[in-house]
Amino acid sequence: MRAIGRGLGEFLSWVVIALMVALTAVVVIAVVYRKLGASLSWYDEVASILLAWITYYGAALAALNRSHIGFDDVLRLMPVGARKVAVVVAEILVIFFFALLAWAGWKVLMVLQGMSLISLTWVPVQLTQSVIPIGAALFIVAEILSLPDYWRDVMAGRSTEHAPMAHGATPDGDPGNGNLTNGGEGNRS
Amino acid sequence: MILLSIFLALVVMVCLNVPIAVALALSAVLGLFLTEGPSSLVTVALDMYDGANKFSLIAIPMFVLAGAIMNATGITRRLIAFVSALIGFVRGGLAMVSIGVSLFFAEISGSAVADVAAIGSILIPEMKKRGYGSPFAAAVTSSSASLAIIIPPSIPMILYAVSAGTSVEQMFVAGIVPGLLGAAGLMGVSYLFARRYNLPVEEAFQLSRLGSTFLEALPAFALPVIILGGIFGGLVTATEGAGLAVVAAMLVGLWYREVDWAQLKSAMLEGGMQTAVVMLLVAASVLMGGYLTRAQIPQEIASGILSLTSNKYLILLVLNVFFLIIGFFLHSAAAIILVVPIIVPLIAQAGIDPVHFGLVVTLNLAIGQQTPPVASVLITACSIAKANIWDVSKVNLPFIGVLLVVLLICTYVPAIPMFLVDTFYR
Repeated sequence: MRAIGRGLGEFLSWVVIALMVALTAVVVIAVVYRKLGASLSWYDEVASILLAWITYYGAALAALNRSHIGFDDVLRLMPVGARKVAVVVAEILVIFFFALLAWAGWKVLMVLQGMSLISLTWVPVQLTQSVIPIGAALFIVAEILSLPDYWRDVMAGRSTEHAPMAHGATPDGDPGNGNLTNGGEGNRS
Repeated sequence: MILLSIFLALVVMVCLNVPIAVALALSAVLGLFLTEGPSSLVTVALDMYDGANKFSLIAIPMFVLAGAIMNATGITRRLIAFVSALIGFVRGGLAMVSIGVSLFFAEISGSAVADVAAIGSILIPEMKKRGYGSPFAAAVTSSSASLAIIIPPSIPMILYAVSAGTSVEQMFVAGIVPGLLGAAGLMGVSYLFARRYNLPVEEAFQLSRLGSTFLEALPAFALPVIILGGIFGGLVTATEGAGLAVVAAMLVGLWYREVDWAQLKSAMLEGGMQTAVVMLLVAASVLMGGYLTRAQIPQEIASGILSLTSNKYLILLVLNVFFLIIGFFLHSAAAIILVVPIIVPLIAQAGIDPVHFGLVVTLNLAIGQQTPPVASVLITACSIAKANIWDVSKVNLPFIGVLLVVLLICTYVPAIPMFLVDTFYR
C-alpha cells in the first residue's frame, strides 16, 4: 500500500508541477502579448481551466499528505474509543462526498457531449470538465491510501495539523517521515 | 429548521476533523437534498467546477510560487544582511531585524506562514544564540510575519476581494498605512523588551557596510518595485503582477546564481498544493453560497441585524468581535470564504465601504493567526524555536495588543487605511 501511495504521489506531483509551469507560462505570455497590443483571446479561459485542474489534482495530492485545512483539537480531546468511531465516520463522509462528486461529474460529462470551448473550438468541454470525476476518484484513492498513517497518528494523539515544519521547510532538512513531498501543510494564509 | 440542521451538520463535521472544504460542501449537499430533492445533486459537479474555474484567483498560485522561489534563491539571506546593517545597532537589534525583514518580505510573498518559515528559520536560531529567550524569539517573528497579510500583495486580501466583489488593487493600497503602523508598534514593544532584558546590540552602524549590503540586496528590492509599481501604476492587473513576480523572482535567483532546481521543483509543488487546498475551499463555498443565496439567507441575516441597529460603528464592533472569536478556531482563508459572502449584503446595507471592511477583516485574521488553538503562523514559529505554544503566547500578548490597537484605529478612523485609496482611485 505504501508503494502504491508513493507511486500515486509521484504521479500527482508531476501533474501538479506541469500544470503550475503551464499556468505561469500562460500568464506571462499573455502579459507580453497584451503589452505588444495583441491580446490573446484564449488567455482567460485557458488560465481559469488550468486553475481548476490544479485545484483537483492538487487536492488529491493534499489528501495523500493529509494537508487539507481542518480542525483536529476536538478529536484529540476525545477518549480513544470515541476517537476511533469519529475517524471512521469522518472518512466515510469524505469518501461519500467525493463519490457523489464523481457520479455527478460523470453525469455532467454525458450532457456536455459535443460542446467545445468558446475561444478554442477544437478543445471539447468534456476534456476540461473531466477533471471533476477523475479528480474526485483520485481523491478517494488518496484518502484510502493515506488512512493507515493518519489512523496511527490520531490514535497516538499526534496532531496531523500542528507540525507545519515537520517536512522540509527548515534548513535542517527533511526528517523523512514517509511523506512524498515537502510543504505538506496546506494552511498557509 | 433546515438551516439549523445544515449549520449543526457543519459544526459536527468540522469537530470530527473532516476537512473544512468537504464539511462545507457536504452541508450544502444536505441543504440541496432537503429543499430541492435528490435530482438537484447534479449541480454539485457544476458548482464545484465553476468554483475552481475562477480567473480572478489565478493571482494566488502566482504569489505563492513567487514567495517559494524567493526562498529557494537566497534573497531572504541578503535582505536580512541589509536590514541588519540598517537597524542592527539598536538594542535588541535582531528583533528589529526580524520585523524589518518581514516588511520587505511581505511585499513579495502573499502569505504569512511563508514569511515566518523563511525568516524564522534563519533568525530564530540566531536570536537564541545571542541570548534571546526562545519564547520571545518565536513571538516577535510570528507577530511580525502576520503583517504580511495586511501589506500587499496578500492572499487573504485577494480572497476577500473576490468574495465581496470588490477591487483587489484597492484592497492592496488600503493595507499600506496600517501595515507600517503595525510594524512601528511592534518595533516599539520589542525595544521595551530589549531594554528590560538587556538584549544585545548587533554590530555598530557603518555606512560602508550599509552600502555594500544594499548593493547585494538591490535585485531583491527590484521585486516589490516591479510588482507593486506595476499594479498600482495601472500597468498590469493584480494577476499579471503576480505572474511577473514569479518571473522576477526567477531572474533574481539566476542573477545570484543560486537557483537550485530541486528546490525550484519543490517550490512549484508546494505552491500548487497550497493553491489546491485554498481553491477546494473556494469551490465548496461556491456550492454553499449558491444554496444560501437561493434560500435568501444572507439577505435575512442583513435585515435581521439591521432591525436591531443601523449604527454602522456598532455593527463594525459586533463583526470585529465575531471575527476575533472565529480567528481562534479557523484559518484565515477558511474564515474569509465561510463568512464574507454571507455578510456582504449586511455591509452594503449598513453603508460600510467594502474595501475598508476588507482591511478590518484581514487585520482581524492576522490576529487570528496568533491565537491558538488554530494559529498557523504562531505554531510554525513555535516549531522552529522548539518552544511551547503557551509560553510563546504569554510573551506574544503585548505584540497581539499592538495589532489590536491598530485594528481599533483602522476600524474607527477609516481615513487611515482609506486615505491612499481615496487619493489613488476615487
